[in-house]
Amino acid sequence: MSEETKKPAAATEEAPAPVDPRVEQANAFLEGVRSKIVAAFGDAVIEEAGLAKHQPTLVIQNDKWAEVVDYVKQEPSLAFVYPEAMAGTDYMEKGYIEVYLLVHSFVRAGDLALKVRTPRDEAKVPSVTSTFPGTNWEEREIYDLLGVTFVGHPDLKRIMNTDDWNGHPLRKDYVVQD
Amino acid sequence: MAEIRTEELLMNIGPQHPSTHGVLRVVVKVDGEIIKEAEPVVGYLHRGTEKLAEDLQYTQIIPYTDRMDYLSSMVNNHAIVTAVEHAMDLEVPERAEHLRVIVVELNRLMSHLVFLGTYLLDLGAMSPFLYAFANRERVVDYFNRLCGARLTYNYMRVGGVKWDAPDGWIEDVKTFVPHMRKELDMLHDLVTGNEIFLNRVKGIGVYDTDYALSLGLSGINLRCTGFNWDLRKNKPYSIYDRFDFDVIVGQNGDCFDRYMCHMKEIVESLKIVEQALEQIPDGPVMGKVPKILRVPAGEYYHAIEGTRGELGVYIVSEGKDKPYRLKFRRPSFINLQVLPDLLRGQTMSNLIAILGAVDIVLGEVDA
Repeated sequence: MSEETKKPAAATEEAPAPVDPRVEQANAFLEGVRSKIVAAFGDAVIEEAGLAKHQPTLVIQNDKWAEVVDYVKQEPSLAFVYPEAMAGTDYMEKGYIEVYLLVHSFVRAGDLALKVRTPRDEAKVPSVTSTFPGTNWEEREIYDLLGVTFVGHPDLKRIMNTDDWNGHPLRKDYVVQD
Repeated sequence: MAEIRTEELLMNIGPQHPSTHGVLRVVVKVDGEIIKEAEPVVGYLHRGTEKLAEDLQYTQIIPYTDRMDYLSSMVNNHAIVTAVEHAMDLEVPERAEHLRVIVVELNRLMSHLVFLGTYLLDLGAMSPFLYAFANRERVVDYFNRLCGARLTYNYMRVGGVKWDAPDGWIEDVKTFVPHMRKELDMLHDLVTGNEIFLNRVKGIGVYDTDYALSLGLSGINLRCTGFNWDLRKNKPYSIYDRFDFDVIVGQNGDCFDRYMCHMKEIVESLKIVEQALEQIPDGPVMGKVPKILRVPAGEYYHAIEGTRGELGVYIVSEGKDKPYRLKFRRPSFINLQVLPDLLRGQTMSNLIAILGAVDIVLGEVDA
């Protein structure tokens, strides 16, 4: 996942491999955000930090998810005010479901990907609808298709499938019904 | 005067109702003519595109995207192919890039014409619909000649486009640009100054930029509030940085501004098409891509400016020829969330005016 580990091993001393300016820029962006969050919540709140193809990405501790998302929106020097996309992925072999939220800051002129993980058998993530009302339907969709319960969601019910549907289709062990 | 006894009434609009443009159901609680609460119910057209995509190779996914926003299939094609190219760092030949921009902008224009026609039809004006569809038909014919389909094109491939333009196609599209400009003037004469129309749309369905941002609205639904945000300019992709065009923004964030943004964006699309037709070089239309596309393991998000807003593709790959997870960020789905707030306190007749101006396509809402 991380781009910075991809340095060629055989680079000679005279000519160090040129660092992609996009990677450098993205790392600086990531560090700027990370240090702010760490200063506000402590080190433990960030489980992982890295770049996913130039995209600064942070994995946030589950029980602090809503607070951190609210913080990056409200803190004036960060101001990630625009929720762009939300997605959920079932990593069956690793035993967790991951929720992905992409937010944009016009102050910092960049995107930040925030992720949170939750165990598959009791999938629960704090809802961020009070911070971003626009994630309401996205969270409902993830609940419907992946079975993640968003704690604090105002109207958590299925959105794509009928209310009496069995199972959650985007889970990897879902059996297609007739 | 004696007290009139009133009672709240629960009413279903749709899912089979011509003004919902598909299979949208809105459950409204009305008190007389006034809407107390409105709840959109979606999912009637859910086909599980994202689940199906997990069993498909990347090229096989392209025809499925045609069926999401079926009024702008070329744009959807563009979203998935640029996302895979972004993930795999693939180069696209110049001619293919130009062809893509031409068809995408023509498709945007064509979709806006459908918006114009059906919106006016919803508001009770029949003839603009016929003019809009007559012009749209010309574009449909161009696409038919290019790729053999009128609506579901399946035209783009990862690394280029499937077919080069047939003989005479470029010249014919060139004649369309001045024709459409003239027609647009006529449509403005016909509609924009009409007093009945203005009374139906001015000051209706108003919201501001902060509200739009917190809801994650994009495209015209965001720009109508005066906020300048267009991914073609703000996160340049393809070759849009080479063309001279303006981002159209509104002022008041009402239905009239959303209508005007659509009309003015047609002009901007024509500008881009004109420049791309002038600049298009000769050459191959497919780049060097591996026979079997394997996206390197990792996760990627890439978005383009779709007809209705930010059309994003989130890919999680394990390095195989099929995605582990594919998610479409569908602008119609997110934009539709604005409805309950906009409808509260409005009259029933405004429901149609407001819903029409949000400009959704149910195929994209439900995917």
